[in-house]
Amino acid sequence: MSEAFLSIQNVAMHFGGLRALDDVSFDVERGSVLGLIGPNGSGKTTLMNIVSGVYKPTHGSVYFNGKRIADVPTYAVCRLGIARTFQVVKPFANLSVRENVAVGAMYGRNGSKRNAAASFERAQELLEIVGLARVADRHASDLTIPDRKRLEVAKALALDPEVLLLDEVMAGLNATEVDEALELLRTVNARGVTLIVVEHLMKAIVSISTAIVVLAEGQKIAEGAPAEVLASPRVIEAYLGTRYAERQRQRQAQS
Amino acid sequence: MAAAPPSRALGGITGNATALRVTAGILIVMAFVPLLHSGYYENLGRSVLMFATLSLGWNIIGGYAGYVSFGNVVFFGLGSYVTAALWQHWHQQSIVLAILCAMVVGVAFALVLGMPILRLRGHYFGIATLGIALATQEIVSNIDWLGAGSGLTVRPVDAYSTYYYAMWIVCAASMLATYLIARSKLGYAFVAIRENEEAAAVLGVDPTRYKVVAWAISAAMAAAAGAVFAGANGFMDPPTAFALDNNVFPIVMAILGGVGTVAGPLVGALILTAINETLWSHFPQIHTLFFGAVIVVVVVFLPRGLLWLFNTRGGWKGIVGSLGAYRV
Repeated sequence: MSEAFLSIQNVAMHFGGLRALDDVSFDVERGSVLGLIGPNGSGKTTLMNIVSGVYKPTHGSVYFNGKRIADVPTYAVCRLGIARTFQVVKPFANLSVRENVAVGAMYGRNGSKRNAAASFERAQELLEIVGLARVADRHASDLTIPDRKRLEVAKALALDPEVLLLDEVMAGLNATEVDEALELLRTVNARGVTLIVVEHLMKAIVSISTAIVVLAEGQKIAEGAPAEVLASPRVIEAYLGTRYAERQRQRQAQS
Repeated sequence: MAAAPPSRALGGITGNATALRVTAGILIVMAFVPLLHSGYYENLGRSVLMFATLSLGWNIIGGYAGYVSFGNVVFFGLGSYVTAALWQHWHQQSIVLAILCAMVVGVAFALVLGMPILRLRGHYFGIATLGIALATQEIVSNIDWLGAGSGLTVRPVDAYSTYYYAMWIVCAASMLATYLIARSKLGYAFVAIRENEEAAAVLGVDPTRYKVVAWAISAAMAAAAGAVFAGANGFMDPPTAFALDNNVFPIVMAILGGVGTVAGPLVGALILTAINETLWSHFPQIHTLFFGAVIVVVVVFLPRGLLWLFNTRGGWKGIVGSLGAYRV
């Protein structure tokens, strides 16, 4: 049992002999933006899958508002208030953009209070927030990559989450689109939604996160405020590489 | 059927609104068939309505929820045996009572079977349903209380057209139910499961629960059709109740008319029954060959059915797309 809002406690995930995650623990504060970073294959998506109930951890557990959620099935986790987006987007291809979002509004945390009409209204509101209102009646499969990422966010928001897990929503976006995405995430966070952001883009992660956790080979190697985590020699070595380390030193020398 | 369709529905999951209105109009006109006082047309019409109901039932689980069942004839067969048993053992002739009892039995059977087999995905579910259809026929063939292999007789009610009207009501109710489901949250839960089960679960849809619900609704429709059919047929034995045609035709009809649409099953039932009847009367020897060819042509060129031609996207381009996809 933990006092924390969202607490990951000694979580391990083994796939046969592969230790995708090994004894990972950290807490997430309500209203914060946690950046979760690490090289490819470090276990970020696996951790997302555990928190969202898609995988059951081999050891350890996840507590949300003091409730153990490791054994809660996927569909019930989102009703508790944890929503996620997928790294590989999963739109309902034969439904319109509005219908895609409406399904979340129908069956999410506040879904039981909404009928079909109210769910479509809620979907329309969310599409305006994420900037997809102009394509609300198009098929989800017609959307461009940036718009599909926005759709993933809108679907997750339709669940009225307290925590939103974002798995590489900025991957494949150009600089302008990344700025727009960051703006969207700030808007969402300002509405009181706690964010856990998995991302490779350092600039994006640093600018939005209030805290960062670094995974490497399934283990947590650093945790703390963005600046101090990125300055940690172990992180630079394991994740950022020598070029970034040099630039970091130059920047420090200048200031 | 879920494989890369070239054409798609837009705005709602009821299907094309004009096609739906026209089809509802045809259904209303069909209510007056007994006034022709032609036994031939009445039997043919009742057959269309029966197949349309079976197809509507299949469409809920196969078309909307995307789980292709090859065993829906089980519910039809059980429903027809309910009518037969009610007459044989209790001398009950009431069609309404038979329909209600059949629906209860069908839904109960779907719930009991659905819990384990709807945990299976895709093709495995299809194979399990086929196994259940064959096994149930064998089991019924060995129950003396149900007449075993020799069957049960049912005394038809005096006003024979009553069966036509009963089938019409069952069909109309099934179509109305499908329409209401497709406009409700329930319909979107089914479609979300069809489109992507994992993504549906992440949005709060409990896949197993809604698949079981879809199959139970499917079962209720098929069982009601079976209950009316048994009375009209006057006799029930396992090959009649669990006929392969009653399993395959409804699926082909739904595909021909348009899977996952409200109007599709009735459109498919009308067209296929007309084709079947014409071929049967003109080419009795090679009728099955023609029928098979029709099925192949439909699946290749119109994988999502005729009604999808009327959609804003796809349409005739969809046919061209299918040609390309099959490298014809």
